[in-house]
Amino acid sequence: MDIGGEHQIPAAREAVWRALNDADILRRAIPGCEELEKISDTEFNARITAKIGPVKARFKARIQLEDMDPPASYTLTGEGQGGVAGFAKGAAKVRLLDQGEGASVLKYEAEMRVGGKIAQVGSRLVRGAARKTAAGFFANFVAILGESAYGKP
Amino acid sequence: MNANTTTTSGIGGSVRRREDSRFLQGRGRYTDDINIAGQAYAVFVRSPHAHARINGIDTAAATAAEGVVAVFTAEHTKDIGGVPTGWQVHSKDGEPMAEPKHPVLAEGMARHVGDPVAMVIAATRRQARDAAELVAVDYDPQPAVVDMKAALAADSTKVHADLPGNLCYDWELGDKAAVDEAFAGAAHVTKLDLVNNRLIPNAVEPRCAIGDFDSVSGEHTLYTTSQNPHVIRLLMGAFVLSIPEHKLRVVAPDVGGGFGSKIFHYAEEALVTWAAAQVKKPVKWTAERSESFMSDAHGRDHVTHAELALDADGKFLALRCSTLANMGAYLSTFAPCIPTYLHGTLLAGQYVTPAIYCEVKAVFTNTVPVDAYRGAGRPEATFILERIVDQAAAETGVDPAELRRRNLIKPEQFPYQTPVALQYDTGNYEATLDQALKAADYAGFESRRKQSAAAGKLRGVGLSCYIEACGIAPSNVVGSLGARAGLYEAATIRVNPTGSVVVLTGSHAHGQGHETTFAQVVSDMLGIDYDAVEIVHGDTAKVPFGMGTYGSRSIAVGGAAIAKAVDKIIAKGKKIAAHLLEAGEGDIVFENGAFKVAGTDREKSFGDIALTAYVPHQYPLESLEPGLEETAFYDPANFTYPAGTYVCEVEVDPDTGRVTVASFHASDDFGNLINPMIVEGQVHGGLAQGIGQALLENCVYDADGQLLSGSYMDYCMPRADDLPSFQVDTTVTACTHNPLGVKGCGEAGAIGAPPALINAVVNALNGGGHPIAHLDMPATPQKVWAAMQSN
Amino acid sequence: MSEQITVTVNGDTVSARPAANTLLSTFLREELGLTGAHVGCDTSQCGACVVLVDGKSVKSCTMLAHQAAGTNVTTIEGLAGDGGELHPMQEAFRDNHGLQCGFCTPGMVLSAVDLVSRNPDPSEGEVRSWLEGNICRCTGYHNIVKSIRAAAKVMRA
Ligand code: FES
Ligand code: FES
Repeated sequence: MDIGGEHQIPAAREAVWRALNDADILRRAIPGCEELEKISDTEFNARITAKIGPVKARFKARIQLEDMDPPASYTLTGEGQGGVAGFAKGAAKVRLLDQGEGASVLKYEAEMRVGGKIAQVGSRLVRGAARKTAAGFFANFVAILGESAYGKP
Repeated sequence: MNANTTTTSGIGGSVRRREDSRFLQGRGRYTDDINIAGQAYAVFVRSPHAHARINGIDTAAATAAEGVVAVFTAEHTKDIGGVPTGWQVHSKDGEPMAEPKHPVLAEGMARHVGDPVAMVIAATRRQARDAAELVAVDYDPQPAVVDMKAALAADSTKVHADLPGNLCYDWELGDKAAVDEAFAGAAHVTKLDLVNNRLIPNAVEPRCAIGDFDSVSGEHTLYTTSQNPHVIRLLMGAFVLSIPEHKLRVVAPDVGGGFGSKIFHYAEEALVTWAAAQVKKPVKWTAERSESFMSDAHGRDHVTHAELALDADGKFLALRCSTLANMGAYLSTFAPCIPTYLHGTLLAGQYVTPAIYCEVKAVFTNTVPVDAYRGAGRPEATFILERIVDQAAAETGVDPAELRRRNLIKPEQFPYQTPVALQYDTGNYEATLDQALKAADYAGFESRRKQSAAAGKLRGVGLSCYIEACGIAPSNVVGSLGARAGLYEAATIRVNPTGSVVVLTGSHAHGQGHETTFAQVVSDMLGIDYDAVEIVHGDTAKVPFGMGTYGSRSIAVGGAAIAKAVDKIIAKGKKIAAHLLEAGEGDIVFENGAFKVAGTDREKSFGDIALTAYVPHQYPLESLEPGLEETAFYDPANFTYPAGTYVCEVEVDPDTGRVTVASFHASDDFGNLINPMIVEGQVHGGLAQGIGQALLENCVYDADGQLLSGSYMDYCMPRADDLPSFQVDTTVTACTHNPLGVKGCGEAGAIGAPPALINAVVNALNGGGHPIAHLDMPATPQKVWAAMQSN
Repeated sequence: MSEQITVTVNGDTVSARPAANTLLSTFLREELGLTGAHVGCDTSQCGACVVLVDGKSVKSCTMLAHQAAGTNVTTIEGLAGDGGELHPMQEAFRDNHGLQCGFCTPGMVLSAVDLVSRNPDPSEGEVRSWLEGNICRCTGYHNIVKSIRAAAKVMRA
């Protein structure tokens, strides 16, 4: 499945880029994220609780940042094991466009695949859940950015 | 059939079922209703991947969790044998099929979503479930192969490392040269590509198994939801756990439906039995429905190309079919024989087709194993034949009923040897066809079509003339075809001193009403009160032996074994009576429940004889043992061949593509009927599953091998408002080779219904200005609507 | 220790302390030993677990035991009369061969009792649509529909 979106962010592209690489911001922005541990500049381990249809599970996820092209784009890939609930994998290509005057646009295209029980009982709902999660992430991200030092000009 | 007027409790009477009293009051005893003091609960950790290397399993946290008794993985079950297959098929080149090991717990590699990887046992169900969450499996996902054509490619992902091309076998049946020659001279050839959709059996009772071990006697007991406890004892005892029969008891109590899916020996049965001895506690496992979806064997899943050659008069000259059959990731108990000996051999149908050739490639894929599901092979064969005959009728402009009639085997041609191995003993197909056409008012279809058209609906009519081979099976025949067991049935009749009778039968009942039907047979044959006969089944400790219930064999094979044992009782009774009546044994006749000296009024009642047998004061002890108990094994001489004609009318809503079954008429020849009410019920149930396959049900895997139709939300089970009321009736030609003249009725509906439905839908679309040759099942609104838009 | 609840089950008053997350179906089957309510699915779609709560049919797998506190629960075990005589619905199922394996039967019978209490003379279509939440794999529903309409007739008389 492919989902995508676009968000206006009232912060300069450089600032947004730094925020997108900040473990603490990511942790707060990812819906259901309980823990995010930075392994290296491009690798994180996370613990995320997600609910897809009738299945609620805690995922142990590994997140990687690839195709780094600062401050313009990267690809975020994640793979989570949810125990008996199954697994989820996804990749999001994130692009930042400079709008000038301290504003930028974030565009993303993502795909997500699920397996095990989540696929079995929730496959119809995955697209909706993924869209909601993505929307939630970027909404949180923009809000956090507004409060944090990154957002300040 | 007149199910409500007969009052006799003997053969032919619609006796109300005795098992209903307990089921209607919640007093049934299903496996999950059984709880053994001190039992622990097992939960399985199953692979969420269709194909993944297992690099390691960390069970430490699970083992340490509250209430956990043990956590087992393949490391612990190394010495347990793989789950065996009961049938060996040979390829065209004479090579035996590929038979990769099916470990009880995945050994280093998971091969389908749902493949069990670890077993967690804890004091309560909830603790076991929570601990299962803590088992950390390090999976390394591999590419999965789901599509059969892709699996056969040389460079495909391998489901089993040592098996390139994933081919289990490449089998053939029939005279290829004769078929080719007939095609060369044909006036018309019809070709069709079709799919027999994959189904999930979905008996409403989920599987359940409880293992128990008595360390003093060394006896293992398994309670399980099985259609054939003796087969489970044989397979599990001999091949998986190495437990001798006398130390292994298998009990299949009340079972909530099977439809084939509870024939097979499953890993969970072996694991609870084994684990109970390891942890020294009874171990119980009950499947959750989502688990059933990914661990019960699935059904069907064939892809076929078929061609039918006709002469200028519309006579069939030859048929050829080439089929791919999905085996799933491992071979289930009966899997190899379903697309071969229960499929290829049925391709003659009810017709005189002089030459037939069939080839079947069985393929491994990263999906749940596929095995028998109600009909098993025969619905697939019938679907091919009845679709292609209909298509030939459409292409040649002959009425489909007429084209069928021209080609039917005539009553005087029996016994009829088909070109695909079977010899039909008896039948009158034209009589059944006529009866169905009349009852369904086939001649009046056109006016109903117009009425529907006036209401904006497209109406179609579809026929199907099916045949099935039941009464499985003559052991010598199936033995020569690769069966690793005999397929006879056993029965013991125990006459008690006061004349009441206990029947021990190897035929298990899980909805079929054997406790009633078999009692009718015995009370009728012995001339005793129906209530004086008790039927016992489902426990290897009580019933001497048996091969169980599948392939519509209970009455034809199990019933015949009972009849044979009754004959032995009567023969012994005659000896006792001859002594008591001081007559020659040859002068004794058994009539209306009494032993009589022929031509006199001297007689002894059945009760007298029974009592004498156990109180042998006046008894020919020098020539006869006391007691009155006989066991018979019945091995059928041939299959039985139920056949029938189904006529279905549908209405298609052109705006939505939704298909409604407007009427469904079934005329079947099951030979003699013991209990017409029960027979009718069996037909209804089969029809519902057949209509389900044709219109609603479909098992869907995505390209990665994820099971998408894994719950009742996504797998469309037929519900009451999806189905019509059915009209059913019967004709009778008695089976010539079993003592009751019966043929079996359990699978007919599921075999005959799907092509009738699809023929009707195709007819409706063609009649409504949307010419199509074929539509694959299930004919969902989306598919029908799309087909209508394409032309 | 979880809170105590009191429920009337088949006329008997029962006090128990089921865990807060115990489903009514589990409570009936495992704590009270009333195994007539069957569990056929884990997504609340099969209807094998139907019981009557204050006379209304309820899927007991969709309700917590604690939610049943203070109610009157009838399971299939409690439907027959005190003298053991079958309820007309049970009688009709038996007489019309409305069951085969019996697994869906308790739910079917109790759903049907509720239907007839709301609609004493349901048409075939009304019966079929009422049974939307009950799956039977054995009977093809034909004889179930017949049974329910026959029982309704008896119950009207
Ligand atoms: S168990 Fe309650 S609806 Fe299936
Ligand atoms: S009687 Fe078996 S599920 Fe209904």
